Amino acid sequence: MIAYTIYLPQVKGLLKKWSMDLQVFVPTMVDDGFYEFKSWSDDIEISWDYDLCYTSLKKFVLPAQEDLISFDMKKYSAGAVIEAPKQLLFGVHPYDIKAMNQLDQLMDTDSVDVNYRARRDNTVVFGLERVHVADTAFWSGVEADRVDHGYDLYWTRISPGAFFVQVGSARGEEMLTMDGPVEKASVAQKEAARRSHLKVMAKAQKNTLNFDWSKTPDLVNKFFNNRTFWREKAKTCLSCGSCNLVCPTCYCFDIKEEADDLLQNGRRYRQWDGCMLSGFAEIAGGHNFRSSPWERYRHRYMRKGKYIFDKLGELGCVGCGRCVRACTARIANPRKIYNEIWEAIKNEV
Amino acid sequence: MPAKPRVAFFDFAGCEGDQLQVANLEERLLDIVSHIEVVRFREIKTIKLDDYDIAFVEGSITRPEDEPRIKEIREKAQVLVALGACASIGGINCLKNFINENEYMATVYGDKGRWYSTYAARPLSAVVKVDMEIHGCPIDKNEFARAVKELLLGKIYRPPDYPVCVECKMAGNICRYEQGKLCLGIVTRAGCGACCVTEGSVCWGCRGLLPEANMDAAGQIMNEHGFSWLEAQDHLRLYFGYNGRL
Repeated sequence: MIAYTIYLPQVKGLLKKWSMDLQVFVPTMVDDGFYEFKSWSDDIEISWDYDLCYTSLKKFVLPAQEDLISFDMKKYSAGAVIEAPKQLLFGVHPYDIKAMNQLDQLMDTDSVDVNYRARRDNTVVFGLERVHVADTAFWSGVEADRVDHGYDLYWTRISPGAFFVQVGSARGEEMLTMDGPVEKASVAQKEAARRSHLKVMAKAQKNTLNFDWSKTPDLVNKFFNNRTFWREKAKTCLSCGSCNLVCPTCYCFDIKEEADDLLQNGRRYRQWDGCMLSGFAEIAGGHNFRSSPWERYRHRYMRKGKYIFDKLGELGCVGCGRCVRACTARIANPRKIYNEIWEAIKNEV
Repeated sequence: MPAKPRVAFFDFAGCEGDQLQVANLEERLLDIVSHIEVVRFREIKTIKLDDYDIAFVEGSITRPEDEPRIKEIREKAQVLVALGACASIGGINCLKNFINENEYMATVYGDKGRWYSTYAARPLSAVVKVDMEIHGCPIDKNEFARAVKELLLGKIYRPPDYPVCVECKMAGNICRYEQGKLCLGIVTRAGCGACCVTEGSVCWGCRGLLPEANMDAAGQIMNEHGFSWLEAQDHLRLYFGYNGRL
């Protein structure tokens, strides 16, 4: 492992260098207790100790709305539209990196999603070790507490003025030395980074799964037919899709088209969709495969707890806790639901 | 329908703000108008013809004499479009439906109240069949343009059937409930791009109740966030007044 030590005063110089070539996004406080990734400028205050950024980072690689094709309705011709601005996400927490790694696998499998891939290739990711744990987060229980790939650099703040920076890619290392030579990290600094990780891990033990996450697929599968449970839980579901839309691993989209005002050209675009919305599983002829809110509600937990696992061998949930927060009915907490199921059937033979 | 459909605009009880939104399309209007013939639109031209294929109707039905007029429009038009909240859901005109008739007559017309005939406000669909609805108070001009283009391409525009929450999430807004505010976005039909929330306000529900709105849940959620049902009802009645589920 190659690692360097970067001192706080060096960071500003590096940010200036980086922002000449790409758009840099950093975490910052946007409202009391709410953090977001915003475009870096000289006067922005970086929240190095943010607990969770309010919206998920998937918007940088899978925007809420994105053009895919432009077409000519007179000539019957069409061409691909691929937009991929060069960007750097500086300060991404491991659970969000894990989510992006998962998206990579899903979007690249079978037929590659070219729009996603282009954006992803132009996105540099600098990870950041957490200091605080959001009160809705439970990433420590779903194996999202650390990542070994998916970042170009991984930063750990080891003292008020210094960072221990692990190299994840050649691109990352190159960017680190852009503003002059940097110091190789010492063994003591590496140890400081390790202690910093252990410290946040200790904080994260408060909210976690009560069982080994790998049992989840089997658990939810056994509970699939427990209609009473799902109906009761979904009673106050508004079918608003908020839990889907804030989720860093939810990637479903709808495809729509719109003609221009002269009715000559048009565009085909995609837009975020969510399996909790009533029209999600509705097909031509009006049939809806999941017409009741409780069926959709169950589907989401099956998707996160089993279906993604069946594809990739990991849960479709990274425990960021955004859905817990976004749900006004307070019923979208995967940790709570999976723990409840575990408590109900752990003693079954 | 002819290659260049003839389009007419009508208004009942309303402020004509939706037609103003159409006029606000400005130069875009010229492109759109190249596919149609506008035969009646008093906000932008003086000509008034009685032969038309598509009728855009703004405003609510609030008087007995409105009924034969809207029925006649319905008979002449191949496609009748309800334009704006007053026409599509009854809108704020329905506030009076919760007040004693003598009281609102006296409030609005004073001692001349008996000169006017009026009854409970209702949307167009309560009287005639409506083919297409463009919601909002006022309507979103981009959505109007889109709906017109879809009509010209032989389709009926279907507004979103999901709540405003979806568009708030797409815009990256902080949920108003997290800020301790009462917001009707959780049960209101989207399509506006969550414009009011994005601009710092809350959702007022002008696009009407979601087809599948879970009102029991909404009431419970508002209550848990510190808003009694009575308080919430004042907000809900502002636009959802005609809805029987309130």
